Amino acid sequence: MKLSFVINRKPSEAAEVPDIDVTPVMNMFVILIPFLVSMAVFTHMSIIEFTLPPNVSAFMASQPQKPHPRLTVRLGSDYLGIVMGEELLDSLTVQGQSFPFDSLAERLKVHRIKLDYREEIIVAATDKISFKYVVRVMDICRIAGFEKVGLSSATQDPGAGI
Amino acid sequence: MSFLKDRFEQKADSAFRPQLTSLVDVMTILLVFLIKSFSVEGNLITPSQDLVLPVSSSEKLPQLRTSIEITKNAVISEGHTIVTMEELSRNDSMVIKPLFDWMKVVHSRNKNPKTVSSLLIQCDREIEFSVVKKVMFSCSKAGFIDFSVLVVQEE
Repeated sequence: MKLSFVINRKPSEAAEVPDIDVTPVMNMFVILIPFLVSMAVFTHMSIIEFTLPPNVSAFMASQPQKPHPRLTVRLGSDYLGIVMGEELLDSLTVQGQSFPFDSLAERLKVHRIKLDYREEIIVAATDKISFKYVVRVMDICRIAGFEKVGLSSATQDPGAGI
Repeated sequence: MSFLKDRFEQKADSAFRPQLTSLVDVMTILLVFLIKSFSVEGNLITPSQDLVLPVSSSEKLPQLRTSIEITKNAVISEGHTIVTMEELSRNDSMVIKPLFDWMKVVHSRNKNPKTVSSLLIQCDREIEFSVVKKVMFSCSKAGFIDFSVLVVQEE
């Protein structure tokens, strides 16, 4: 009896796969994907906060005391310098448009530890420097562990100081 | 006759049905990617179209405050062109007079003590520092103290 039951079934019926209706899923995708594409944020914005030197800021200019020497990174198209007050601690030559930012980051960390200085660092850039390089150096300073970053201008003439 | 009827019904059943499995696969991958990049917070600040912002690793989120845009062609605030780059290059003074006047008005108009002296600078990445310096100087003379610069977060 059992054998006859097996033989009576059609092979096509035995191999039939249940057909899943994907139409509702597709409908959901069609609605959800345009919504998510319109809401998606592909570029995330952030800010870098900085201060201006005391002689520039209108508020701080009213304070009479002389500013104390700060660690400064001089950013120029000829060289990058690390200056404490008026003393040049380190300098890195710029070759063409390739700025030695990796070396600057390393040396900045070394000087920060050596001087045990965690306060404000000033980024002083020369006039012809593109703003993207200024932001890059501000980033390097922040990563090196400085709490505050200030922005100032430097003279093109290396002998004239900052 | 019954044999013919069976064949006809079979043909009617086997109407054209597109194979959707691969499409569903693509949609699923797309959905996962979009959900991953989906941000509930969104961007509070939309930078100008003619600006290419510098890239930074900073993760500090922008807040609503007075903003100024330095594009390759002009210095813009609240949609108004304050000074063009040509005018700016002709001016040797550190203070840009039209910008100073405008920012003084903007500063006096802001009554929120938390943001009254805060300024967000949106600057094109290729702009020379001499231009940024003049803009910052003029704004600081107008009463702004807390400066921040808008950047694109590094991936």
